[in-house]
Amino acid sequence: MKKLFFTLLALVAAGLFGRVVYLVLSSPPEPALTAPNHDAIVAQLNHLFRQAAYTITWAIQLGYLAWLGLKWQGQK
Amino acid sequence: MKKPLLGLYALITLALLGWGYYQAIYVAPNDAMQGEIFRIIYYHVPSFAVAFFSFAVSLAGSICFLAFRGSHANRAQIADAWALAGAEIGVVFCTVGLTTGPLWGRRAWGMWWTWDARLTTTLVLWLIYVSYLLLRRFAAGPQMQTLAAVLGIFGAIDVPIVYMANRWWRTQHPAPVFGGGDGSGMAPSMVGALMWNMLAWFAWGVLIMTLRYNAERQSQKAAECDAQEALRA
Repeated sequence: MKKLFFTLLALVAAGLFGRVVYLVLSSPPEPALTAPNHDAIVAQLNHLFRQAAYTITWAIQLGYLAWLGLKWQGQK
Repeated sequence: MKKPLLGLYALITLALLGWGYYQAIYVAPNDAMQGEIFRIIYYHVPSFAVAFFSFAVSLAGSICFLAFRGSHANRAQIADAWALAGAEIGVVFCTVGLTTGPLWGRRAWGMWWTWDARLTTTLVLWLIYVSYLLLRRFAAGPQMQTLAAVLGIFGAIDVPIVYMANRWWRTQHPAPVFGGGDGSGMAPSMVGALMWNMLAWFAWGVLIMTLRYNAERQSQKAAECDAQEALRA
């Protein structure tokens, strides 16, 4: 049961890593200063990168917790 | 820590992390210059604070291991387990800081990375402790723990250098927000969010460090049993 929980946690962490890659790669290019919707694109970019930073934090922490849990279960 | 107590502590930690997230996203205002991207500070700064704390635990564990290894075998093993747990959790939090930083830098500076003193010394710190973990994983023999303790002590020397880097040298990385002299500081409406996240990530760091310590102690005891059984056979 615990092994299943930590395996699921590892899958969640992997999914979060994938989401970070998607957020960064799918972000629009930096707009020119003269672009009519410059401020809106900058705000969107900031939002995507802030989301990516928070997501990668959880991906690393949950990934580590899953690794630790699986290692611990393996020792028992 | 006893199991029910650990469970209760884990629940409080999760509640704090949720509260910290709420503070960071819904309570703290956007920065006037940087907008929403500034909110990365609520995860980036606490991550490094916990990393430094963890490396300090590793340093204390390494020193105690060297002090006790000749006289108190059990105390030395406990110290070694703390040294390993501290180094590993430090690397985890340092990795978080080293990945959230470039995401922030890309938006704030227009680049992912620059070889300024703050960033370079931080990368060196991360590499030292990754090499510490690799040493522990792949080195064999009775000297492994001693070598790891010496490397852990030398690695910790880089922590104050990282902390002081943007005070000693001119860096792309911004000047310190707290204790940085005239003009430093944070708007009072943002301080609360930072402090809640600091508390939450410290609680999380202590939780996973305790779990890692328990796992290492279990592994040490299993190795001890194996060694005794081999002697008896």
